[in-house]
Parts: sequence; C-alpha cells; structure tokens
Amino acid sequence: MAGDIVLGYDGSDGSKAALTVAVSVAKAFAAPLVIVFGYEPNPMGGETADYMRQLEAIGTRYLAGAVEEVKKLDSSVKVESIVAPLRPVESLLEAAKERAARVIVVGGNSERPIVGAILGSVPHKLLHRSTVPVLVVPAAE
Amino acid sequence: MAASGELGGVPSQEAAPGGKGLKPGALGLLSSIVIGVASTAPAYSLAASLGFVTLAVGLFAPAVMWLAFVPMLFIAAAYFYLNRADPDCGTTFTWVTRAVGPRTGWMSGWGILVTDLVVMPSLASIAGIYTFRLFGADGLAANRWWPMVVGIIWIAVMTLICYIGIELSARTQVLLLAAEAVILVAFAVAALVKVYGGGIGHSLHPGWIWLDPFKIQSWGALSAGMLVAVFIYWGWDTAVTVNEESKDAKRTPGIAALLSTVILLAIYLVVSVAAQAFHGPGFLSNPNNSGDVLGALGHDVFGSGWDRLLIIAVLTSASASTQTTILPAARSSLSMAVHRAFPKRYGSIHPRHLTPGFSTLVFGAVSIAWYVALNIISTDVLANSILALGFGIAFYYAMTGFACVVYYRRFLFKSVKNFVFVGLAPLIGAVMLTAMFVVAVFYYSNPANSSNGKTAWLQFIRFRFHVWHFEFYVVKGVAPPVVIGLGLLVVGVPLMLLWRLRHAEFFRHRRETASSIDHTAPPLTPGVLPVVD
Repeated sequence: MAGDIVLGYDGSDGSKAALTVAVSVAKAFAAPLVIVFGYEPNPMGGETADYMRQLEAIGTRYLAGAVEEVKKLDSSVKVESIVAPLRPVESLLEAAKERAARVIVVGGNSERPIVGAILGSVPHKLLHRSTVPVLVVPAAE
Repeated sequence: MAASGELGGVPSQEAAPGGKGLKPGALGLLSSIVIGVASTAPAYSLAASLGFVTLAVGLFAPAVMWLAFVPMLFIAAAYFYLNRADPDCGTTFTWVTRAVGPRTGWMSGWGILVTDLVVMPSLASIAGIYTFRLFGADGLAANRWWPMVVGIIWIAVMTLICYIGIELSARTQVLLLAAEAVILVAFAVAALVKVYGGGIGHSLHPGWIWLDPFKIQSWGALSAGMLVAVFIYWGWDTAVTVNEESKDAKRTPGIAALLSTVILLAIYLVVSVAAQAFHGPGFLSNPNNSGDVLGALGHDVFGSGWDRLLIIAVLTSASASTQTTILPAARSSLSMAVHRAFPKRYGSIHPRHLTPGFSTLVFGAVSIAWYVALNIISTDVLANSILALGFGIAFYYAMTGFACVVYYRRFLFKSVKNFVFVGLAPLIGAVMLTAMFVVAVFYYSNPANSSNGKTAWLQFIRFRFHVWHFEFYVVKGVAPPVVIGLGLLVVGVPLMLLWRLRHAEFFRHRRETASSIDHTAPPLTPGVLPVVD
C-alpha cells in the first residue's frame, strides 16, 4: 500500500474543508484515504494517563464522524483512521512516511497570520518539514 | 475504519503499558532530568525561599537545604512505585483514593489544588518585582501595587499559554535550564571569590558547621526552616511523573528523579553557602531582602549590568514554575472531575487546543483573585505565601508516602528491597513531613516567628500549653502563614462533605491493594466519556 492520501483532521472548519478536497483527490488517484488525529499534552505538567484517555476518546469520536462524512461524500473511497499520541505535525509526517503517501492534505489556518505565527501552525510546519507534497485547503468562507 | 497499529494508534484496551498506546521512546533520560529540574525552578525557588529559611534557622540554612532533601528523596520512592501502578494525572488524589479511601483521597486532591493556588501569588510577585528590576526601575519594584499589576498580567498570560497549549521545544528548555544553572553557579563562584578577596561588608568565610543541623536552636525553628526548604524541591516529582512518554517507562523516570534531585541539591548547597557568605545571614533574613535574596545580592556580586543575567535567570525560572503550577493544577481538577469527585465541567477539554480548558481558566482566575485579596489584606504577600506553602506540600507528600505503604502492604515483607524502598523509605518520609507539619503549626502559631514578627490574624485565639519540653503558646492570635496554609486545607472538609451529599458515586469507591509489586491498576473510574467544551 503506497500512494495513500493522508488527511489531518481535528474537527475544525479548515479540516472539514480539507476532508472534502481529500476525498476528491483520493477518488482521482483511486488511492486509499488515511485520516489522522494527533495529540500530545505538554510533558511539563506531570502525569497524564486519564487526560490522555480523554484525548484519545475525543480523537476517536472526531474520526468516526470524519469517516462517516467520507462515506457520505463518496462510498467508493477506501478510508482508514489513525488516532496517534504524537503532536499533530509529527503524526502526519509519521503517517505519510509509513504509507509512502502521495500527498498530505490539511486545512488552512482559520486563525489570522499573526496568531498562527505565535501559536505555531500545522500547515506552516508541514510545508517546511514534509518530504511529500502538502495540500493546504482554506476553510470555506 | 480499522485503526492502525504502527503509529500506536490502537484503541486503549489493547495498547501496551497503562493502556494508552503511546509511542515509547519520546523522552530520554536527559529530557526527563531537564523537565524535573526545570519544574522545580531552582533560581526562582532560591530567590523566593532562601531568606525565609535563614529567618528560621539563621546560619544553618545550608544544613536545612540538605536535610529537607531527605524526606523528599523518600517520598520520591513512593511516587515512583505508585506511578508504576497508576500514572493518572490526579497523582496523589487517585493513589490515596485507591489505597486509603475516597474521602482521604478527595482531601489529598484538594491539598494539591490549594498548594498550587498558594504558590501563585509568590510566583507572580517575584515575576513582577524582577520585571521592574530588569529595566532598572528598582523604586517601582519595591512598591506594593505595581508589581501586583505586572504579576496579574503574568498570571493571565501564563494561563493563556497553558490554555492554548503552546509549549517550548525540548531543545529550548534544555538551553534555558543550562543557562539558569550556569548563572547560578557563576553567582556562587563570583560571591565566594569576592568573599575570600576581602572587603565585603559582613562577609563570612564558609565553615562546615553551616551544614550541621544539630546546632539549630530549637525544633520549632528546624521544622519551620524545613517546611520552607521542602518547597524548593517541590515540583521535581514531575520527573517521575512524565512516565508514559519515557524511553523505559518503568526505570527512566525513577533515575531521572534521583539525578535531578542530586543536581538540585548541589545547586542549592553551593548557592546558599555563597549567598550567606557574602553579606552574612542577617542580610538574607532582613525583611527588605528576604522576598528575593538573589535580586538583593545580584548587584553587589555581579556588578551592575551583569546582574541582569541573574534577573533573567529568575524570570525564566519563574515562567517554568508558573507553567508547572498551572498545568498540574488544571490536570488535577480534570482528573478529579473525570473520577466524579469534582463538577463535570472541570473535566472538559477544549475541542481545538485539546487542553483542560475550563480547569485552566478557572485556576488562572482564582489565582488572580487570591493574589489581589492577599495583597489587600497583608503587606507581606511573598512571605505569607512561601511560609504557608510548606503546609500543603507536607500534607499531600505525606499522604503519598502513607498511600504507598498501604497500597503495597502485602508485598513489603516479600524482599529486603521492597521493605526498604516501598515500605520504610516512604513511611519515614511521610512521618518526617507529618512531624514537620505539626511542629511548624505550633511554631507559626506564635506571631513573633512570622516574617515581620508583628502581624497576627484571628486574634481571638488564645491558648498556652506544654508538651514534653516544647512550649506552645498563642497569646495574641495566629501568624498569617498558619491561617493560610492550614485554613485552606480545612476549608476542603465542608466542601468534600457537600460534594458527598450531592454526588455520592465517587465516595462509593472501594479501597484497593496492589496485586503485585509491579502491577498496573485498571482505571479508577472505567468508561468515562470525555466532555468537550
């Protein structure tokens, strides 16, 4: 399995727009779609076991919704989902590497540029670090 | 939708240790040590507490520095073993609930929360004072209100950072911590060189006697000093607790905790000896300097210009410390809410930032309110906070020690190693902390022993009695540290009873014991659905 389409999904408007585009890309290439949700709490605060369980459950819930949405858009696309305990960028890069992905699709920042610069933006980091093409989809107006 | 195993993204039931399916190997030994030491924030801890240790024990502050290390080391063993069984972010709260029972567990969780709350005004005022110092505005730094304004902004910004979930990269943290350690050591060396060079007012040549705790004049003074000094090691338990992400989750955190404690001990001994040698203990315990001894000494030791380095070290240290106060506080209330011991809302997670959003914001808001209230009521926010803090720390660390012994009681006599590390060490640590707690309550009940020796609260309380050769007397009310430190803990009792009245389910938890020495406990409250804000 190579040439998968990797989609970063966190339930935001941008990621919903990205999902729609990712489905049409997957269909065009007849490639499987892998939806990824990454999470990692700050290790500075100490233990996290029950917090991590909550995050994982949230991720699983988001992705179940996303898979549902994909099926609704196009039931012929083969779709898979991954909840990974890694930072979002790391989880996408890891998934892309593992699947020899064709492209990573993410939602554009719905935040304004300054805010993005301060908070760190996933698409921005991906553009710098990814070895496969990155497709950034702006949120619907 | 088949979940993939390669990324570790397996649903929790099938995943490896603790059922979290984490990628192992994320944190190595170095990162764990860095987190441990940075969480303790040595520069800030020294700046805020050294003066008060000196106030209690005079020349013997360095002795107290190493003596306070002993119970902390013993409690580290308890953290290590309990964490193996259950690495929940409720820490002491979940462990004590399992081992001793839900009511004691609830009170321990409350203990963590109020201790985190009590340290916030101290952190914020240090940050406020040092911000003005950084820009040379020493006049404003000494003002009662301006540092509070900056301190409030500080708490607000740090709360926001924790809420949004911005974090420094591990590499930045290593750099900041290294800079902090280097500056502290440079401070100590510069101070000692000048002392031996002569010509410094009130300077003393260090002597071994400084390290001898048996020369301290009274048990009350000793335990008061110890109670302040345990605070400087507080936070290092984070190194034990960043367990799931560590390379060898069962060993690395323990070794990291031990190494970071040894590093801390070395820094504290060297800096406290040097600070005391420079202008003598009287300078450190002088109310004008005791709130931030490093700031007071920095100028003379480093000369003007270079003392900015020290200020920057304390500020970065305070920022790390603010984070490691807000994050665990929010996670404690998250954990308590998840296990139905706190309102559900506190367990909610921000859908986008994935942080315990509500808990974080509430903790920030309550901290600001508490800081303002304290600053209005008392002129000596820093002193009262730092002196009060030890009560909370001693309480919940002691509970952790007892919980460890109780939880593993069936395995204590199975081997010498178990007996020493799982039984004896935590027990001695817990007993020491309990004794310090009790003796310090009586020591501080005499307002003459508080920071400026005058303030007394609750002036209707009057009593006097002897136990053995200790004389306990309260004639003019109680010193603020006891009111704050003990009072906030006691407030938890009616709150717990109230919660029990309305939400009894948490209090139906049955006591558990370990089924083996390296057993992994099942979740305390299984099948909890996350709340998204």
